[in-house]
Amino acid sequence: MLGTLTLLFNLSLRNIVRYRRRNFFLFAAIAVAVGGTTLSNSLIRGWQVDMLETAVSGLSGHIKMQAPGFADDPSLQRAFSASTNVVLDDQLPVAGIAKRINLPAVISSERETRGVAMIGIDPADEAISLYRDFEVSGETLAGPDDGRLLIGKALAETLQTKIGRRVVMIVEGADGKSRERGYRIAGVFDSPTNWPEEALVFTGLQALQDTLATVGLDNPITELSVVLVSDEDRPSAAEKLRDQHPQLVVKDWRQMQPQIAEIVDVVDATMVIWFILIMSALTFGLVNTLIATVMQRTQELGMLRALGMNKQLLLIQVVMECVGIMVVGVIAGLMLGVLLVFGLGEGIDLSAFSESAEAFGMSTFLKPVLTVEDLLLFGGLSMLVGLFASFFPARRALKISPLMAMNR
Amino acid sequence: MSDNTASDTPVVYCQDVQRIYQQESVPVYALRGANLTITAGEFVSLAGPSGSGKSTLLNVIGGLDGFDAGEVTVGGTSLGALNASELAQMRLEKVGFVFQAYNLIPVLSARENVEFILQLQGVSSQERQERANSALQSLGLGDLGDRRPGELSGGQQQRVAIARAIVTEPVLLLADEPTANLDSKTTSELLEVLQQLNQQQGMTIVTATHDPIVMSYTSRQVAMMDGEIHQDSAMAS
Repeated sequence: MLGTLTLLFNLSLRNIVRYRRRNFFLFAAIAVAVGGTTLSNSLIRGWQVDMLETAVSGLSGHIKMQAPGFADDPSLQRAFSASTNVVLDDQLPVAGIAKRINLPAVISSERETRGVAMIGIDPADEAISLYRDFEVSGETLAGPDDGRLLIGKALAETLQTKIGRRVVMIVEGADGKSRERGYRIAGVFDSPTNWPEEALVFTGLQALQDTLATVGLDNPITELSVVLVSDEDRPSAAEKLRDQHPQLVVKDWRQMQPQIAEIVDVVDATMVIWFILIMSALTFGLVNTLIATVMQRTQELGMLRALGMNKQLLLIQVVMECVGIMVVGVIAGLMLGVLLVFGLGEGIDLSAFSESAEAFGMSTFLKPVLTVEDLLLFGGLSMLVGLFASFFPARRALKISPLMAMNR
Repeated sequence: MSDNTASDTPVVYCQDVQRIYQQESVPVYALRGANLTITAGEFVSLAGPSGSGKSTLLNVIGGLDGFDAGEVTVGGTSLGALNASELAQMRLEKVGFVFQAYNLIPVLSARENVEFILQLQGVSSQERQERANSALQSLGLGDLGDRRPGELSGGQQQRVAIARAIVTEPVLLLADEPTANLDSKTTSELLEVLQQLNQQQGMTIVTATHDPIVMSYTSRQVAMMDGEIHQDSAMAS
């Protein structure tokens, strides 16, 4: 049987070469379809990865721990101690953690007043958050004890203030009373997305604790953000943290940003559906050409039947030819797709559509992402399409009677 | 097949064979109760005008076409009870075909064309090569084994087709108008080849033709008319 299959394989290969001109166009059509879809899907995958990164880096991390009730009523009265209440297992696959005080506040300049989130941070911990992507004019925060402010460029424009000027922050203290204090602006940050520039104000964590903390806690914070090595570790890590910290609320980014989570889920299905749609359109052309190929060789195929080749072997031969064409076309298409993705380099600048991009949780730069899993998926799906397409010419070939070889 | 004389063993036995085609629900009788017995070592021509049923009878004997009534036996196998797959196997094992249009596989060399059918039979690689070379050699094609059909003349292609038909040592060689596409010189050469196969190797050959030259090379002439055996030289003698 192996010898017969080898014979059929050789015969199929030679038939593919025999009709090289027609098959070249077939290969080209398949390659362009697969290559184009690979590129478009890599952009979709890039969008998904970007959304996920934006969701994770936007202060929430993969997992965020807060005191019960803080989400509904964010105040320092619902703080917890980073020193005594939090124990992080060494076994957790953690890329980094950030302890913060994150409270609603009012910022006022001489001319304008705005509601913002005042965030006390240790700058050294924020390499895991959007803080790392800020382009800062002036000075960054020197450390957790730095009592100056870092505000967004958009906010600075709204407040009509600038680096070195003083602004007033009003924040509710641990006793429920408002604290009002003047701060000097150390620097102004420019963010890839607009909302942090408008809504976030940073200062040193320790400095803010010193200003607000009268709750009797050691190292009080309102949130602890955990970024894991991989999002795949999230469910188990969240479960573990919940077990270890029953006194805290442990939420992952999917719970905190369910809309983004849903979009991320839909993207996976979208990629497969998009690929199938494109390949289905291609299949019509493919089936038509392959059937024409079989019809063109009616006498030859009839002769094979006349000589004693049974239907199964004839079926295998036709399927081998169709699949052979698909294999070459798909491999060329995947290579083309990879080249196109690399050709796109750093990605597509969407800054002209920054507001729309933000609405979809995207940054203003769309970078294609191509994974080995996606390439294997596209390759596998293409081969399934090829097998499906080969069914029709194979069925037509089986209808060819050996008499046709005699009568022509 | 070394016996060069005809024996009484029936290689082909046709009894009251009918073949009816439906043309727009009108029955057309291609064979009307044909009776024919061919014994081993005979070289038979089936002759007759177009529509006489000679090609239909040849196809029925070769298991390429079915029949609606009667009995057909080839090499001891009754064809009436065989399904398509069994008929294919019967053709592979017992019948060699030579077609009017040569019908070689264009992407294979002459040697590969001859080997092809042996490969379908599951013959080992070494034996395949030996038998294919021997068959080509016997037909004067020893030097042309590596050429593809497109690089051979019509006569050479038909010789390759004969080599392919005889390499399996079939009990019966069927040739449908084998010389129709050849010039008179090549026709004579080819007929001599067939005659040698018949006389020297005892190969049983049946050929459908309307060419008197072909009939002159055969040992038995069967004339057909309107789907029936009209005249049979064996009966006449």
